[in-house]
Amino acid sequence: MKKTLLLISAIAFLFTSCDKDKAIKTDLTINFTHSVDDSELITNSMIYTNEAEENYDIQTLKYLISDIILHSENGNSLLLNEVHFIDISDESTFSFTYNDVPNNDYTSISFDMGLDTARNISNKYVNEDFHTTMYWPEPNGGGYHYMKFEGAYNNDSTFYNTHTGGTMGADYSFNYVENISLTVDNDLGNVSANINMELNNWYNSPNQIEFSSYGMGIMMNMMIQMNIQMNGNTDVFSVTIDK
Amino acid sequence: MKSLIYLLLGTILIISCKKDLAPISGCTDNIAINYNPNAITEDQSCNYFNTTPYVIETPYGFPDMKIPFDNPMTVEGIALGEKLFRDPILSADKTQACINCHQQNFSFSDPIQFSTGIDNIQGNRNASALINIGWNTSFNWDGSSLTLEEQAFEPVTNSIEMHNTWMNVELELNSHSNYPFLFKQAFNINYIDSIHIVKAIAQFERTLISTNSKLDRYLKNEEQLTISELNGYAIFNTEKGDCFHCHSTNMFMDNLFHNNGLDNEPFTDLGRAKVTSNASDNGKFKTPTLRNVEMTAPYMHDGRFASLEEVVEHYDSGGKYSTTVDPLMKKLGVGLQLSNQEKIDLVSYLKTLTDNEFIGSD
Repeated sequence: MKKTLLLISAIAFLFTSCDKDKAIKTDLTINFTHSVDDSELITNSMIYTNEAEENYDIQTLKYLISDIILHSENGNSLLLNEVHFIDISDESTFSFTYNDVPNNDYTSISFDMGLDTARNISNKYVNEDFHTTMYWPEPNGGGYHYMKFEGAYNNDSTFYNTHTGGTMGADYSFNYVENISLTVDNDLGNVSANINMELNNWYNSPNQIEFSSYGMGIMMNMMIQMNIQMNGNTDVFSVTIDK
Repeated sequence: MKSLIYLLLGTILIISCKKDLAPISGCTDNIAINYNPNAITEDQSCNYFNTTPYVIETPYGFPDMKIPFDNPMTVEGIALGEKLFRDPILSADKTQACINCHQQNFSFSDPIQFSTGIDNIQGNRNASALINIGWNTSFNWDGSSLTLEEQAFEPVTNSIEMHNTWMNVELELNSHSNYPFLFKQAFNINYIDSIHIVKAIAQFERTLISTNSKLDRYLKNEEQLTISELNGYAIFNTEKGDCFHCHSTNMFMDNLFHNNGLDNEPFTDLGRAKVTSNASDNGKFKTPTLRNVEMTAPYMHDGRFASLEEVVEHYDSGGKYSTTVDPLMKKLGVGLQLSNQEKIDLVSYLKTLTDNEFIGSD
């Protein structure tokens, strides 16, 4: 009896000491969330209104986020993902996980909306799932759509296609940076960062975008591409950290 | 005494047996694919299972083809698949082969609106053209099959197509003079079953690759397009014609399902919703590739349009409204408003996608 007890306590001690020595790994999950006027996105329902007072619904939303990087004070940055494709009709695209984040004090996160000139090249991502659906034809400059944001406005049979991309090779992607406070150490454990897209803000301030001005489409319209880019860089994205 | 009789009988039996066996020569190694269990004399003719791998070269602007792990491409498997594809032995009355409704001259499609099965019954969808089909992620107009192997199971037993049973097909092939050897050669199997029949057919179908059209040669700077074709190229690839969103990349398809505004509700054919049971998929059909589109008339899932001109007219009209119509049909009720010349140009461009080598007319 005494022997058994001794053995048990010895094993228990062993486990405890092991735990103390072992650092907890940190896996970082990046979630992509979507809201309209601060409420969670509801698709296929004409309940939204832009600044131009057009009512609209959202039926399609597909976009590319690239160059997702964590930055630290000491200059060490961590590339989390080169390109991530999000499609609101496919939940499996709503997140990805970076395993075993190195210990550091991370002070900001940055990413590109769309693909910058170095990445926005025809057939560069030919084996990625988004290759066919985000394809942007050569006569329009080649590469890929940054975003396909589609639905109906004013009535069920009038459609808008907010398709952004590198019109005639011009780069309308933009880099978004947000300061965060994320200290990864031996005790933190798993953590997630939520990148939210506030959809209505693509159309509001500083530039009011009207669907009724889209005409034959905006893929060749540099003025609208530029205005949407500016709106996007103003207040479309926000990042929160869940520890 | 009794045992003596048995011994005698047994001896007679053995002797008589030996008498029946002519001294057959052949392959006596039982692991060879042409092992002859009746052979007594080895004649050095043994062939062993040794397939030749077949590599599909990825055409420019195409992803790598995803080959199922359990059905690697081999020269032997492809040759067997082609033989099966062209052989009416798969149909109940041995009158119809795959090739009858997927004719090579028509880019492996049927020029008739609805193909007719062995019992003279017609279906309600146009036979799909089999072009670059190895890059598709689902098959049939509604995507009801997820692999080519799965798809090949259907027509054989479909009562309005080949109307056969797999048991019957297996019986026919196993008692055939040539097929058992070909299956042994391709798959190293002693009994031909449906699984290996569809595997062979799928291997052959993956080799139906067309990427040598006038447009391909133009993109490689080997041939020039006419002014009209170039105009059509621009209409197709900009939002003026807005064809490229669905018929995208060098594959000219997106592996997705769309309602392109053919009909108002209610739909006579629910399309994709038949598979998903989701009302939001009502009236959606899979985007077909436009390669060799000149040869694949009639058009749409139900073959309603006899010519490319009719197809262009449909899109030029803007299409009809229904609750599931794709937002990409953004000229609904307004139309593309193409001029007559622009429509001609668009059709000229579509004809640059013809690959004469593929359809066997070169």
